[in-house]
Amino acid sequence: MALLRKTSKPEPPEKWEAQLRKGCLELAILASLWEQRFYGLEILRVLEKESDLVLAEGTVYPILGRLKEEGLLQSEWVEAEAGHPRKYYWLTSAGKQKVVSMAQFWSSFSGNLNTLLKPVLNGKGGKS
Amino acid sequence: MNTMTCNAMVDDYFVRLDSRLSDLPSERRKDFMMELRAHVMDKLSQVAVVTESDCKSVLEALGAPDEIARQYRMEFLLKHSSWNLSPVTVLRTLLRWTIAGIQGYLVFLVAMIGYVVAACFYLTALLKPFFPHNIGMFVSEYGINLANFPVQHGHDVLGNYYIPFAVFAGYLFTLGTTLLIRFLVRRLGALRRNI
Repeated sequence: MALLRKTSKPEPPEKWEAQLRKGCLELAILASLWEQRFYGLEILRVLEKESDLVLAEGTVYPILGRLKEEGLLQSEWVEAEAGHPRKYYWLTSAGKQKVVSMAQFWSSFSGNLNTLLKPVLNGKGGKS
Repeated sequence: MNTMTCNAMVDDYFVRLDSRLSDLPSERRKDFMMELRAHVMDKLSQVAVVTESDCKSVLEALGAPDEIARQYRMEFLLKHSSWNLSPVTVLRTLLRWTIAGIQGYLVFLVAMIGYVVAACFYLTALLKPFFPHNIGMFVSEYGINLANFPVQHGHDVLGNYYIPFAVFAGYLFTLGTTLLIRFLVRRLGALRRNI
């Protein structure tokens, strides 16, 4: 239960931080499905492990639905041993193209921003 | 393990969520609810002895029904209305936008003006046979009037041809407004999703 309690009431983030997380969530969801198909909770676990993007777990499902509507994901209900079916998602070829282009943009964008932020993080300069 | 209490909490959660999505297509709504319920069951199955507190934590981590319903609408109704040609669907979506911010309000205003003008053309086309001397396209020194009550000014340049003209103009305004709204929804949708 430690895991459940830990994720249930995160500290409220700054507004811009929340916006940033939301903006990156679509890319992170698509990227999590790059290698294999997952159902919703598995995607959330990947996102929790590899990133720090999810604010409320339920918000991921409408995004998954929209990505499917846009033809970037495909889905299928699969009966599971747990006693209830799970909805698995995987990338379509359009989804793979999209995530590659998004990842390329992100890589370039974050690289440039990191260069800009380097002196700030090192605490150099900064006239008051 | 107080299974009854937990089940009641979960059921109550989904009843509330269902009520907030009640106007959406039932098949889509059921699929969405089934997926969220599977999520809750999976998370609860990780716990050997489920307490009321665990159940509450799982539902809180999922998010409030209001918030999930709000996001679901943003994601799906905007997507839906970006290709749907029904003015009712477009206006319903935009009405929800107006609550969310000024952009939605302005687009809603544009839509209302476009559809009201279209409705005026349809209405005058319907009334023309009953008021042939008061409904038409009257051109005078005051400009162009479509309805001329009680005194006639100017000359009715279309006569009975006004009816097909008004039907066609109404159709053009309906289609034009819907296409404009679809364009704006697509352009602003990405911004709206991030709010």
